Amino acid sequence: MSRRGAGKDTGGAPGGEPADVTSGEAAGRAVSGDEGKAASGAALDEVLRSLLLRGLPQAEVLVKRGRSRRLEVGLGSESSLSSQERAWAVRAGTRRAAFFLAGTGDPWVAGPWPEPAGSPFELPQPAEAPPWSEPSDFGAPLIGEREGLALLGALGRDLAGELPGARLLRGVLEDGSSEGELASSRGLRARFRRRVATLFLHAAGPGRPAAAASLYLAAREARRFAPKALARRLADRLSVEATARPPAEGGGEVLLAPPVGARLLAGLLPLFVGPEAAHRLAGLRDPRGRAASERMTLIDNGRLPGGALESALDGEGVPCREVALIEGGTFRQPLLAWWQSGGAPALASGCSRRPGWRDLPRPGPTHLYVAPDPRLSVGALLGAIERGHYLIDSTGPGWFDLTGDRFSLPVCGFEVARGRASAPVGRARLAGSIGALLKGIAAVARDLAFLPLDGLIGAPTLLVTGLEVAAW
Amino acid sequence: MPWPELDTAPIARLLSQIAEQPEDLADAFFERREEVELAPEGERPGLRIHREEGFAVRLMREGRSWLAARDALDGEQFAEALRQVARALPSASYPAPELRPTPPALDLAREVLDFPALVVRAVRAQHAGFALRLTVRRHRRWLQVVGPRLVPGAEQESFYSCEVETEWGRRGFLLLALDAAAAARLAAGAVALFRARHAAPPQPLHGVAVLGPEAVAVLLHEAVAHALEADLLAQGGDPAAAAGVAMGAACLDVLDDPAAAPEPVRRATDDEGLAVCRRWLLRGGVVEQPLADAAWARASPTLLPGAGRRAGRHQLPCPRSSHLELLPGEAAEADLAADGNGGLLLPEASRGSLDPLSGELSLCFPYGFRLRRRGAAEPVGACTLRGRVADLLDRVVAVGRDPRAAGAGWCAKRGQKLPVWATAPALRLEGVELAP
Repeated sequence: MSRRGAGKDTGGAPGGEPADVTSGEAAGRAVSGDEGKAASGAALDEVLRSLLLRGLPQAEVLVKRGRSRRLEVGLGSESSLSSQERAWAVRAGTRRAAFFLAGTGDPWVAGPWPEPAGSPFELPQPAEAPPWSEPSDFGAPLIGEREGLALLGALGRDLAGELPGARLLRGVLEDGSSEGELASSRGLRARFRRRVATLFLHAAGPGRPAAAASLYLAAREARRFAPKALARRLADRLSVEATARPPAEGGGEVLLAPPVGARLLAGLLPLFVGPEAAHRLAGLRDPRGRAASERMTLIDNGRLPGGALESALDGEGVPCREVALIEGGTFRQPLLAWWQSGGAPALASGCSRRPGWRDLPRPGPTHLYVAPDPRLSVGALLGAIERGHYLIDSTGPGWFDLTGDRFSLPVCGFEVARGRASAPVGRARLAGSIGALLKGIAAVARDLAFLPLDGLIGAPTLLVTGLEVAAW
Repeated sequence: MPWPELDTAPIARLLSQIAEQPEDLADAFFERREEVELAPEGERPGLRIHREEGFAVRLMREGRSWLAARDALDGEQFAEALRQVARALPSASYPAPELRPTPPALDLAREVLDFPALVVRAVRAQHAGFALRLTVRRHRRWLQVVGPRLVPGAEQESFYSCEVETEWGRRGFLLLALDAAAAARLAAGAVALFRARHAAPPQPLHGVAVLGPEAVAVLLHEAVAHALEADLLAQGGDPAAAAGVAMGAACLDVLDDPAAAPEPVRRATDDEGLAVCRRWLLRGGVVEQPLADAAWARASPTLLPGAGRRAGRHQLPCPRSSHLELLPGEAAEADLAADGNGGLLLPEASRGSLDPLSGELSLCFPYGFRLRRRGAAEPVGACTLRGRVADLLDRVVAVGRDPRAAGAGWCAKRGQKLPVWATAPALRLEGVELAP
């Protein structure tokens, strides 16, 4: 249960970072901007020079400053934490070996630098980023202590109102912002800002032993969390957990709420991400190259407007862009970083995530989601089900056998008969073949929602056929 | 001495100014940490080093806590953090104490770079050969807590962690040294996984399970330590009410004693600067003293503090175990495995989890061995032990007589990743449920 905040690096939500890039031939060129920024840019150049003099021609230096506020309520206790972070990281090496060194405070301008060891690395060339305007809420102040505690308090009260006897065991609200700069020996210069808030809720229902449910969410700003809606969602989960019976064996249509769809997508990421993805997916493609239902379009977009990790550039300073991985059911390409694209650089996108200064950039999704259909409401999909299940959440980690083409995910929800949710269902698993899951998507609703999993993974409500809901 | 530059007297004076009510608790937590990592072959770059330092100032009053943390050792920032947590006079100015950071010299941990070759040799010595990816890390941490009245001694921890990845699974180890013995231990774990690679998971069974010391360490951590942490106990009621409850078989004597941990991770005080104690969690199977930090000890006078741990300056402490001990029984290891009647010998657990509300526990084992009349026989694949804590602990029928130091591994309660240690013998459970 790892919490990841925004400004502070014990957290740091995954995602691309920089938001402003300039490129220059010489390492000594400072970034434009005010005096402080220029001074900081000059410090980065000094670090690069020192590394070059040390015989390390491949070098990159990152500096980062962040602030975060973390508010927590527990059983009879509350706490307010305020953190300020100032740190740096250097990657440097020769053609044979390299090191990564990171620390707090200001970067070591003159070393001492360790002896490189292990495998070397490469750095990207600077590239022109398409125009991008920094969202205005990047500059909004962090949530205040009273305001944040009031939000958590309201959540607890609303939960008790929705489900008498239910109680919030723990609520953690974290709001953070960070900014920094990146410079490399290849002439890349970038500045970035980031803003992310997370909310973790753990609640118990009435009775003994009490049912428990958790939520973990991310948004750009803490003020976007709506206590009433979240309390209702937790209460639904707790009610279902407390009163549910295992399902009767059977199939029928299955309506998957966004948290279930997102969990399934997260389990299937190796089919869509990285150079091996096409090979892994090959067995699931039909002769026409179709890997999924024509209703399915799968996108990754580091620039997604309004996304919690929205950014113009990724953690290596490479421009982010929208990439369709599956379009109308047809596999187009995997998600690839610049160094993974081999002889096809056009397939690459800025998708190297760098959650914090302690982390090395790693390729992965930023906002990866199934494209919603704005014409379809959840109600319309539910109303069309003659017999089946409406699964509202997953209750544990899933099992995905990509080579054996099988998966299983513990779930809870409702039985559905003639378009209406009836008895609650729990201690259940959604299972079947991965091919059937991808090809069995019969409809996609418009309620796209993201979960902070491996990056932000999003799905709207999905109507799927050909899967089994069975007792766990 | 890791903190020669820290003049604690002015810091203590400043803390006494913000702890203006009699029951207030104020402290400053100074931290330096370093991690040197050698990534598996092919991962770029191969050598990774993190060094950081900073502090946190905390004020606790009537169930509320305020904490301000900084990534620097700087007097001005310390004064600013004091202003941030102070309640009565938030606008008061506090003089900046002098903090002169002199971080320890960069030490490249040669032993980390040399260890993979030792492991490969140790695998070959067991007449096995297979591809493995090894991540090796050295962790060092220096701490100094300062209170308004009490300034305990500085603390230091140093240990290693390794992750072994093979085609058949991933295993993590905590080690105190990177020597030939450590390499042999890692190799034994990897080779056991390799040799059990074709073994089918066991059919669901109700019967005997003999847990090796490494597996017992994980069982103790989940079923005794987590179950007796004051904050988790509070989810079900008053934590102090747990004392006196029969929780396991009479042969179970379990302690948490950070002062008896192996020397590189031994502690005299916890992360709140309070003296640790030899804490009897279970005596004769009965709960004696749950784990508590300063906050829970204040809320409940029967609870003893001294078990407050934190992963870093940016987090508040919470009750955690450090070094668990299961006192030895009288059974020889061979006797524990005798007459297993188709049960399982489970040398190692890969992970465990506890639901504090329901008391449901699950322990996962990467492989095991079938118990026949003469002891352990053919290998079996991965399986899981499930049950309610009190029921499982009640099914312990014998405890081995040969305790062994066993790294229980990393624990990530509340997102705070901390190493936990244990010294335990093997034990035998009867009438438990095991399933693939």
